[in-house]
Amino acid sequence: MRRWLLMLGGLLVWAAHFFAVYAAASIFPGDPAAESLALVATLAAIGANGILLWWTLGRKRTAADGFDEWTWRVGAIGAGLSLLAVLWQGMPLIAST
Amino acid sequence: MSVSETGFDPELYKRFPTTGERPPEEFERLKRAWAAPSGIARLTAVNNNFVGLWYVSTAFLFFILAGGLALLMRTQLALPLTGFLSQETYNQVFTMHGTVMMFLFAVPMMEAIGVMLLPQMLAARDLPFPRLSAYAFWAYFVGGLCFFASIFVGLAPDGGWFMYPPLTSTTFSPGINADMWLLGIGFIEISAIAGAIEILVGVLKTRAPGMTLARMPMFAWAMLVFAGMIVIAFPAIILGTLLLELERALNWPFFDATRGGDPLLWQHLFWFFGHPEVYIIFLPGAGLISMLIANLSRTGLVGYHLVVLALLATSFISFGVWAHHMFTTGMPTLSISFFSAASVAVSLPAGVQVFSWIATLASGKPQFNTPTLFLVGGLVIFVMGGLTGVMIGLIPFDWQVHDTHFIVAHFHYVLIGGAVFPVFAAFYYWMGMTSRRPLSERLGKWVFWLMFAGMHITFLVMHLTGFMGMPRRVYTYLPNLYWEWPNLVSTAGAYIFGLGILLFLFDLARNFRFSIDDQAGNSYGGGTLEWLPNGLYNTRSIPIVHSREPLWDDPRLGDDVEQGRYFLPGTATGLRETLITSPLRAEPQYVQIMPGPSVWPLLAAVFTAGFFLLLTVQAYTPAIVCGILTIPSVMRWLWETDRPVPQETVDVGAGICLPTYVTGPSTHGWWAIVILLVVLGMVFLMEIFSYFFLFGIHTSYWTAPPGFVSLLPVLAGYGGGAGLALLGRHLLAREGSTVWSPTTQLLLAAGAIGFGFAVDLLSWREHGLDPTLSAQGAIVYAMLGWQGLMVALAILMAPYLAARTSVGLVTRPHNTTFDVVTLFLLYAAAQGAMAAVVTRITPGAV
Amino acid sequence: MLEGWPPPVFDPAGPYATSITLLAWVLLAMSAVVLLVVLAALYVALFGNPRLRSRLGGTAVVWIGGIAFPVVVLTLLLFYGLSLTRNLSAPLHGDEMRVRVTGEMWWWRIAYLDGGGRPVVHDANELHIPVGRAVVLELESADVIHSFWVPRLSGKLDMIPGRRNLMRIQADEPGIFGGQCAEYCGGPHALMGFRVTAHRPEDYARLMEARIARESAVMSSSRGARLFHDAGCAACHRIAGTDANGLAGPDLTHVGSRRTLGAGILPNNRGTMMGWIGNSQAIKPGNRMPPYTVLSGDDLTALAAYLEAQR
Repeated sequence: MRRWLLMLGGLLVWAAHFFAVYAAASIFPGDPAAESLALVATLAAIGANGILLWWTLGRKRTAADGFDEWTWRVGAIGAGLSLLAVLWQGMPLIAST
Repeated sequence: MSVSETGFDPELYKRFPTTGERPPEEFERLKRAWAAPSGIARLTAVNNNFVGLWYVSTAFLFFILAGGLALLMRTQLALPLTGFLSQETYNQVFTMHGTVMMFLFAVPMMEAIGVMLLPQMLAARDLPFPRLSAYAFWAYFVGGLCFFASIFVGLAPDGGWFMYPPLTSTTFSPGINADMWLLGIGFIEISAIAGAIEILVGVLKTRAPGMTLARMPMFAWAMLVFAGMIVIAFPAIILGTLLLELERALNWPFFDATRGGDPLLWQHLFWFFGHPEVYIIFLPGAGLISMLIANLSRTGLVGYHLVVLALLATSFISFGVWAHHMFTTGMPTLSISFFSAASVAVSLPAGVQVFSWIATLASGKPQFNTPTLFLVGGLVIFVMGGLTGVMIGLIPFDWQVHDTHFIVAHFHYVLIGGAVFPVFAAFYYWMGMTSRRPLSERLGKWVFWLMFAGMHITFLVMHLTGFMGMPRRVYTYLPNLYWEWPNLVSTAGAYIFGLGILLFLFDLARNFRFSIDDQAGNSYGGGTLEWLPNGLYNTRSIPIVHSREPLWDDPRLGDDVEQGRYFLPGTATGLRETLITSPLRAEPQYVQIMPGPSVWPLLAAVFTAGFFLLLTVQAYTPAIVCGILTIPSVMRWLWETDRPVPQETVDVGAGICLPTYVTGPSTHGWWAIVILLVVLGMVFLMEIFSYFFLFGIHTSYWTAPPGFVSLLPVLAGYGGGAGLALLGRHLLAREGSTVWSPTTQLLLAAGAIGFGFAVDLLSWREHGLDPTLSAQGAIVYAMLGWQGLMVALAILMAPYLAARTSVGLVTRPHNTTFDVVTLFLLYAAAQGAMAAVVTRITPGAV
Repeated sequence: MLEGWPPPVFDPAGPYATSITLLAWVLLAMSAVVLLVVLAALYVALFGNPRLRSRLGGTAVVWIGGIAFPVVVLTLLLFYGLSLTRNLSAPLHGDEMRVRVTGEMWWWRIAYLDGGGRPVVHDANELHIPVGRAVVLELESADVIHSFWVPRLSGKLDMIPGRRNLMRIQADEPGIFGGQCAEYCGGPHALMGFRVTAHRPEDYARLMEARIARESAVMSSSRGARLFHDAGCAACHRIAGTDANGLAGPDLTHVGSRRTLGAGILPNNRGTMMGWIGNSQAIKPGNRMPPYTVLSGDDLTALAAYLEAQR
């Protein structure tokens, strides 16, 4: 279970972030509060992905065999891609008028 | 250095292949255990060889039927203001084309290919729940054919495959056409979920030893993700169809704006399912491309781990794009912007896969045979659809082309390139597994070029038709808008495509001859396990996997497997059995005893189909009879399962002994019930979403709920039920207690849960909330109804367990059926308690 | 030249469509470039010389082609798309001219509103706007979901029961702009069109002045008016200043000035008007108006002439 969580960690962070910003925008439509909440969620997700990336990369270096290494590699790239996707997800907050 | 997941010592793998002769009668016993009944009783067979083939054939039949509808539409639209089809007929035809292609062709076809190929590909003897596959197939077969037949009597649904209310509410669709969709499709969703549970457990628990996650064929990965997505996505449409049918049948106003409902709730529920659905169809197609492109080019897939990640990422992100179907509904700008970002993000994993395929082709030796043509052609088509997908992910562009023929072009590119062409490649590639003769390569190239050309001629110009302003779902159009020539071109293309299909059917008729033991074989030189010598028992023995293409890396593997030199060379118990392995590294855990042929899944499927279809035509009494008959059929089918065998452990080869009866969280049964509970939980989550959505939209219609005091007895009932269930499981493990007492706890638990529910229901009735007067009433009663269903199931399960206990089938200290019932009771109690709390925390406005 | 080129989406006539046309061109160019890159890579992978093929056959290609390249392109596009979305959905000033357009099965009810939001002129299926000014449309629905779309003036926006969506359109030159319902609304959804006519400001002012005056004028009786009443037309249709005040069907006060009949599907002249009244079901099957085959040719002519005069 732990292994699954770390392998899918980046994607789970993305999902949590997405539903957080969606909820913020839906509960406070047209309200600046929505943007502030979304910003907080985005920063938190960036942090979480950073931690995941650091963690999985560390494990990858000390992996016991090829399969272990493989799972941490998938986890690390997942966290990296999630970081990117979260940044995209935060772009509506900075898109200029 | 060796690492283990389960404590199994990987050093033991070195004992294989074993040496020495196997006992001569061993193989005969194996064949006897897996033999299928013949004659009419063949229909009761549950072997995946048969069920898989029936399943694929039925799905293909629906492809032909829905394709025929497409030709009717294209004929009607060839010229402006033609009268080839009447307005009513056209509206039914386009609704059926979409519905049948999505629900009766695409998803079932992928499940069918999974049922047919996965056991062979993973070297399992069958999928873990063969009777469930049979049930899923028969339900789909009977339900699907009856549903399709509705078009011949003019009763087919005509509200579009998306069924937007209020057009589909009784006010604007008083006929039973809409009910046909809601009940017919609602029912087929059950079949899809049954198949998904089967595939999830099958891929995670029945892989050949040593086939770690990093060595799985990409199709197996794709099917794992596919099934996971069905589990998360389908509950939304199940709830949606349930609510709309309740609105139609009982006048509960979920979507009626005049009573506090909102038509957009349907769109959220529908597209939360509907967009992932597109990926549910595409991912298996992508898995097929990945797997076949590598095998046909005689090389490994380049960037395997990136492609795995791409599949996983697609599945996650696809749940954040549903509102891009709703960019024009006036949702807040910030909200749709988030969906736009996710829609763009989801194209990234697609790009990863496309470049992995190109790199794989470059690193191998591609042959220009028919399956390769279909793969490369599909790749090109898919890329074009993906690019228009990025375009419509940008909101302003979507505002222009939404609901025009541009969109029609876009998704036909995606689905034909990403699913139809890969499926045809699969037909050619795997034909040798099930037919005595392969399909013709020469005709195959004609089939490909006709389909490829027809596809582009039909749909490329349709992008322009959309830019010209032609909306979708129109039965005709006016002259003088310049729409004539592009439509005529599209129609011509559709006929060319149809010609390709016709040629394929001709080839099929000429060359396809079903066979179990005399197949054409591995004509394209694939390297994965499904090409091991096999029969109804699948492979004689279950090999150890050391790489992604074991047949290429160990040329002796086929022979060793056939001579029984690997795991389970015969049947250890005389029954059908397969090896259960661990989910990450596929280490052997235990031997699962599997059920054989039975008429009960077939009967249960017919009765379930009867229940739903008879409801549609408002034949209530026969419907209820069918519904009631379903229950004993299912119980009877389950009754023969979960039997311990006399041998507690058996030798699975090379002196390795594995248990035959295992319980608890590592077992296939436990996994299946947990997945089922996730499905039920997702329905409940969608109810909670609907609840707060409706509350947020028209708060002015809401009244104060009953006081919190009314919660006390409700929570006491549910809490007591959960406690009793846990106590029962605890007592079962204490050998000293009498035979009856643990099951009695579960009976009492079911009673307590029923009590909690009854008090909740009564408190709302006393409170006077009317489900027909406001959306609040409707959604509260819908939640109560769903909970009522759980309670009813709990009350059926407990006596079933008691009956099993009374004949000594409930083993101690642990028993799978007991665990299943306990878990279900715990779930029902938790859901009931949450529902009772949620419906009481929103304040009233009036 | 290709027949029908440029299509409406690429032939914008106002600011809200022009910016989307530019986006569309950028997106098409991007798609063309990416498609060419993919096809070229595919060509090399299949037919290239061994040296090129082996350079293409590694994980690096997946990282570059599948991740790095799309990330750059998509980041730019996404930023463009999101910024344009914000621009196009900028808050209203509040002093724009407003028209309420209500989607009905299968036609459009139109009401021009005064500063206080009260309807002052009633019409159907044809919208008149002044050139060079943003007009705000209040989009509503009377029955099922419809979608309002004039491709040359703006993207589309849905009309949803229980909700009111606001949409801005603007034309920068006088002209007639066609559109039709974009959300499937059952039955003859295919035949639910309309026209937007943009006038020079002074022409528009004159038109509206006349129409506002017409709304409060009292009309004298005539054979056509009596027929209109006796045949039952008045039960569903309104003609200002007469006893015809039905609200179920389109308002006919200005029907004579419309360019089309049957919601944008027929040219408006004496013959088509007679045909429509006599048996509209043959023209637009499923529409809510019953056929009037009982009326004689004479009656039809008189009715059509009467309606022609309602301008």
